[in-house]
Amino acid sequence: MPDGIMLCALDELSNGALGFDPFNDGRDTVFAVFRNGEVYAYSDVCPHYGDTSLPWKKNAYLDSRGEHIVCAAHGALFTIDEGYCVSGPCRGESLTPVPVTVKNNTVWLITSPTGENKK
Amino acid sequence: MNIIGPELLIFGVDDVQACRQFALDYGLTASGDNRFVALDGTGIEVYAADDESLAAPLSTGSAIRKTVYGVKSQADIDAIKAELSKDREVTTLDDGSIEAFDDLGFLLGFMITQRKSLELEAEKVNAPGAVAQRGVNLTAVNKDDVGVPRSLSHVVYFVPDFPKAEAFYRDRLGFVTTDRFTHVGPFMRPAGTTDHHTLFFIQTPPHMQGIEHFTFHMGGPTDVMTAGTNMVNKGYQSFWGPGRHIFGSNWFWYFKSPFGCNMEFDADMDLHDDSWTAREAPPGADNSQVFLLQYREKWAPMGPPPPGAGGKPREAP
Ligand code: FES
Ligand SMILES: [Fe+2]
Repeated sequence: MPDGIMLCALDELSNGALGFDPFNDGRDTVFAVFRNGEVYAYSDVCPHYGDTSLPWKKNAYLDSRGEHIVCAAHGALFTIDEGYCVSGPCRGESLTPVPVTVKNNTVWLITSPTGENKK
Repeated sequence: MNIIGPELLIFGVDDVQACRQFALDYGLTASGDNRFVALDGTGIEVYAADDESLAAPLSTGSAIRKTVYGVKSQADIDAIKAELSKDREVTTLDDGSIEAFDDLGFLLGFMITQRKSLELEAEKVNAPGAVAQRGVNLTAVNKDDVGVPRSLSHVVYFVPDFPKAEAFYRDRLGFVTTDRFTHVGPFMRPAGTTDHHTLFFIQTPPHMQGIEHFTFHMGGPTDVMTAGTNMVNKGYQSFWGPGRHIFGSNWFWYFKSPFGCNMEFDADMDLHDDSWTAREAPPGADNSQVFLLQYREKWAPMGPPPPGAGGKPREAP
């Protein structure tokens, strides 16, 4: 069993992206997207302003075709697999990845060895 | 040139259905298939990004496709057409409105305003030492009240060259700068209104050009709060606010939106005329908000919900 925080069952991610509040901040601070057999997770902070979250409503992290991650504030588009901003105000910048692992069809946020990533 | 202010903002969006629902939840009323309006009839139009009736988007992909200004009379349309025709193409459309590009590439329209004059009261306030605005036995607040947008207020653009933008709107369209943020951009009002601003520019690199936010005037700060709380209750996510700006003194609450820009509620903006001298301040939180009330879903120090309460990821063993 990894030393981490359970985010969700893998099949809950099949319909797109989900936001999570793994550290009990009272709002989602991490989101995960399942794409081509992989789970990608990022911290829910747009590099444009550096202190605001991406979606316009809970879990609305993707565009309508599911091709890009979107920041609703000013329409920045990010690649799903790298979190790299390809269009919009923060073009050329990236989302901060969050380490996750899938074990037994469950998605876990991996807490860091030093513990600052752990509640 | 009696430009009154923005009359219609036209968007080409990724998810039309989400934008329609958002506009309705924001408090606008559907008027035909694409238009959503405030009480005075000003508003927005929503189309799919690839809709053929729309002009080409900016190269940055911003969803704003046209900003239509309302003017007082045909004489104003004629004057704008004469002025802009000096150095650019001005097209007259079937409905009598005209359109042309500004110096930064934003498509503008000008139409004789169709806004209704509203006869409504502003929010009333009682205070010691002042004559009561709201009389005895009149209650200000009812739990179910939700403020309704009254009029399209202002639009804010990211621009690569704000001096160029300011010069165009000042010299060619008669806008006045009411205040400015140093190295960022001016707040501007057109000649036909006393509103502190209907337009604000934010200097950015060229790849950011586009709409930053747009907003409607509400009946007062309580309407901003009730409309914003209604949005939060419907699951929409706040971007900034509620709070009160310093330049313009308007109350604000911004929400992220499926329009690819923020959508704001504002109220109680300062009014200015030509005797006003523009102020200048460096940008930043100190000068843009007199205070900020951050919305928090959970604010009381009650600790986490009990195990099995649902809605939260469980911790790993
Ligand atoms: S804050 Fe995300 S695009 Fe501006
Ligand atoms: Fe605003």
